[in-house]
Amino acid sequence: MTATAADATLAKGKPAGLQGSAWRRRLPLLPALLYMVAITQLPFLVSIYYSFTNLKDKTQSIIPEPTEFVGFENYRQIVSDPFFRQAMWTSVKMTVLAVVLSLLFGTLFAILLDRRFPGQGFVRTLLITPFLLMPVVAALIWKQQMFSSLFGVLNKVVEFLGFESVAFISDHPLGSIVTVLVWQWTPFMMLIILAGLQSQPADILEAANVDGASGVGIFRQLTLPHLRPYLELGALLGSIYIVQTFDAINVMTGGGPGSTNVPYYVYQESIGGGFRYGAASAYAIVVVVFSIVIATFALRVLSSLLRDEERA
Amino acid sequence: MFERTRRARSRTALLTLAVAAAGLVAAGVASTASGGSNAKTISVAIVANPQMQDIAKLTPSLFTAKTGIKVKYTILDEGKLREVTTRDVGAGGKAFDAVMIGMYEAPQFGAAGLLQDLTPLAKADKAYNFNDLIPAVRNGLSANGKLYASPFYAESSFLMYRKDVMAKSGVKIPLRPTWQQVASIARKINTPSMAGICLRGKPGWGDLGAAFTTVLNTFGGTWWSSTPSGKPDKAQVDQPPFKSALDFYAKLVQDAGEKDAANSSFNECLSQYQAGKVAMWYDATVAAGLLEANDSPVKGKNGFALAPVYKTKASGWLWSWALAIPKSSSDPATAWKYIAWATGPDYIKAAGTKTAGGWAAIPPGTRNSTYRIPQYKAAAKAFASTTLAAMKAAPITNPGTTKRPGLPGVQYVGIPEFQDVGNRCTQLFSSVIAGSTKSADALSQCQRIATQAVK
Amino acid sequence: MGLRGTRLAVGEHRVVVAGLGALAWVVGLLWFFPVAWTVFTSFKTEQDAAAQTLHEGLSLDRYSDVAHSTPGTLSLQSAFTNSLVVVVVSTAIVLLLAFPAAYALAIRPVPKWRDVLFFFISTKFLPIVASIFPIYVYAQKWDLLGTRTILIVLYIAINLPLATWMLRSFFREVPRELIEAAEIDGTKLINQLRSVILPIVAPGIAATALLCVIFAWNEYFYALQLNFADGSTMPQWVTSNVSTRGNFLAKLSAASTIACLPVVLAGWAAQKRMIRGLSMGAIK
Repeated sequence: MTATAADATLAKGKPAGLQGSAWRRRLPLLPALLYMVAITQLPFLVSIYYSFTNLKDKTQSIIPEPTEFVGFENYRQIVSDPFFRQAMWTSVKMTVLAVVLSLLFGTLFAILLDRRFPGQGFVRTLLITPFLLMPVVAALIWKQQMFSSLFGVLNKVVEFLGFESVAFISDHPLGSIVTVLVWQWTPFMMLIILAGLQSQPADILEAANVDGASGVGIFRQLTLPHLRPYLELGALLGSIYIVQTFDAINVMTGGGPGSTNVPYYVYQESIGGGFRYGAASAYAIVVVVFSIVIATFALRVLSSLLRDEERA
Repeated sequence: MFERTRRARSRTALLTLAVAAAGLVAAGVASTASGGSNAKTISVAIVANPQMQDIAKLTPSLFTAKTGIKVKYTILDEGKLREVTTRDVGAGGKAFDAVMIGMYEAPQFGAAGLLQDLTPLAKADKAYNFNDLIPAVRNGLSANGKLYASPFYAESSFLMYRKDVMAKSGVKIPLRPTWQQVASIARKINTPSMAGICLRGKPGWGDLGAAFTTVLNTFGGTWWSSTPSGKPDKAQVDQPPFKSALDFYAKLVQDAGEKDAANSSFNECLSQYQAGKVAMWYDATVAAGLLEANDSPVKGKNGFALAPVYKTKASGWLWSWALAIPKSSSDPATAWKYIAWATGPDYIKAAGTKTAGGWAAIPPGTRNSTYRIPQYKAAAKAFASTTLAAMKAAPITNPGTTKRPGLPGVQYVGIPEFQDVGNRCTQLFSSVIAGSTKSADALSQCQRIATQAVK
Repeated sequence: MGLRGTRLAVGEHRVVVAGLGALAWVVGLLWFFPVAWTVFTSFKTEQDAAAQTLHEGLSLDRYSDVAHSTPGTLSLQSAFTNSLVVVVVSTAIVLLLAFPAAYALAIRPVPKWRDVLFFFISTKFLPIVASIFPIYVYAQKWDLLGTRTILIVLYIAINLPLATWMLRSFFREVPRELIEAAEIDGTKLINQLRSVILPIVAPGIAATALLCVIFAWNEYFYALQLNFADGSTMPQWVTSNVSTRGNFLAKLSAASTIACLPVVLAGWAAQKRMIRGLSMGAIK
């Protein structure tokens, strides 16, 4: 349905054979597609290969061990690894919390900023700056200067209000990490939602206003549905990045039952101390498989991003 | 106005293309224009500690000027350095001419044949003065009698305390305290505004792992038992001494320890001690130099005692950052020239006069001659003798009460598996300190990890 | 004209608008506070920075500490140049590749556009800690370690999925009637792009470019693992201040402030583009 209808439209403007137009469509896509295939699939395939071996760093054995094929041994170990399951669960909690909260705040901020007021550009820049910091630096700042029991700003406020100081990171490792993530990623969500708000045709909003609709009504009936693809885009892209969180955990808690997520766990298995490249690759492949399953479900069933009602 | 935007857009597009093209050319040029001149250049990886930063600053004037050899430093913090150097040495060591590695890695990499044997070079070099090296440090960096890395910096561990706070409470700390003594003193002087003691709690085999393992050793415990040939046999995490060591450590920190213990390491305890929030601190001897520095708020108020013991005579750890030459280095002779200068007695003397920190900030703990320099003795009067005593007493060949694998080594087990086991177990122990995991659960999980690792 | 940036304000009372403006300021300042605190810390001594006190006054000493470097260590100039080249080149190429790709996925969708989009996003599922081994091996083989080229190549691969997805979303905003009208008129493709599509997606392109710049500028893992000696970038320069033996927070704050400034400027520049212009009127 899609191909023929659009081809008919094309045919109106320019005479072109069916063969020619199909390739004209694909051509703009090819550079990007070929580039991604070339650069990302080679490491992926090599990782798959490593995952079937017992590849280790040469420093890990006094007598050099030859790298051998071990079949599914690495994968079997993953199945019986309770710590990996724990890491996966922590990953889920961390990602969902951080994405949902930053999307919420990002949307609120975008709505606030989508209006004219003195210093609009300046406030927008202020709100973007947390996202500009290196994740390592942001985590260190929050650890030493905000969360610290003795010296932290948050605890000074808490004590000022009459309560006892809270050991944020020791007692609430996941919450502390999520806080830093939300602080950094809200601007990212805000940028996407703001672009979405900006792309709303002004004339439709004006017309609705002229018709007598209230601000809130306009928002609910017109803006929110228009924003849906942007909210979903923010959630999708944000999840992709936030699920890979590593620096905040390394700097703030050093890992542990409450805060080790999958990337940190894989890191420990490889250059973080284990230097077992074969096993680490197996973990990584398992992660990829899970991600594909989850993403397929999310994108095809839940989201409207890949659905295309009007466009051919 | 429409025309303007269209022209602006095409201008932007052209500009982008021009930049991209220029960038590609620049990138291509940059990739081929690395180094390559008449002077020799060696590439060295060092850790980002203050003493190492100092030598990087002094190299052009003190080394390059005299020998014409340029040194290109890669300065990384401990964790990142280990990632990069371990991977590089394991892959044949083509990236660096000299790498800074720790006492944990040196014997292992050396025995695996990945490093140059420095013994003939060191012994032949008169200025280097091989016999000046403190024996424990030298042995810690050797395997099978061969020296594989030359020490730049070495430390042990001891107890630092506020003399004035102890005096006010009428408490005296002996030069060789026991852990029970220290624990009861800490609990006695502990107040809400000033904790009794600061002990490391941050996960990591070199963080909590180091401090805890010294306690473990002196409590009669060990990570693994040893086969007759010295290989790791069975994990001993489920044994009573291990449990009592962990419970002792965790309870002491919970009762009389610093705030935010579960993510406190050297730096956090340093700032708490300097701010007067803790009265005692068990950690690296190099801390003494920072506490007695001119700009330290607690200068002159500190006493020093040897690492507390229980069932052993000594328990202080031994650590060194040392320079090694990867086996497949293209120019070991030039690399040795650099190493001999950097870890030789002359640099130490130069550092005393030419660095911002002065004599108290020179690389400590590597040579006997350091402790005979009059200016150093004067500047480090408060702690030099205790430091030297701690270094000499560090029990690297017999840290505990039982036979164990991975010797020499006090606060770690010198086997490759220990890094990962130490990291993962200390994460659990840190969680015990924070109160979120029960000690019995942590120990059983750790036993599982330790057993799995040496299967 | 009051239409710019006043979506919700359409029909709102002046008092409400003013109140929301004030709220925006409060929110902005609060959210920015930790960054402001960091900049404040960069003027302190290390003792004061660690204990959050102010016994020894403020100065620019930390800035001169981090900005000066001896020959043989990574200098600010060298790191900055490397970062600038890598970021600008990779972002430019990303946009050049993503723009037509988004066109082919949104305006004239290829038959399997869903699969293509899914493929793009799936390239980000492999943890980079795992992908580094093969990349390192091949970079070493082809003598690309320590070059800007390898980072440019990798950063394009990192940002292309993001750019493609985002640009595609913005392209979908272009009303079909406009495109068809332009085609019926017989307008050439290149003019279609310029006069019809570009004005509508310009703010989106600015947002996308800014995000690509930010991600590339702050990318640390690949830069560290591949360019640890030569070709090091700003993140490595910043983190060379981190030490496990001694306080470093003031120096790190100073270094981070310096490292952030270019991206702040880029953000400010992108903002101008992100505010919709009056060209919207062309739709009528």
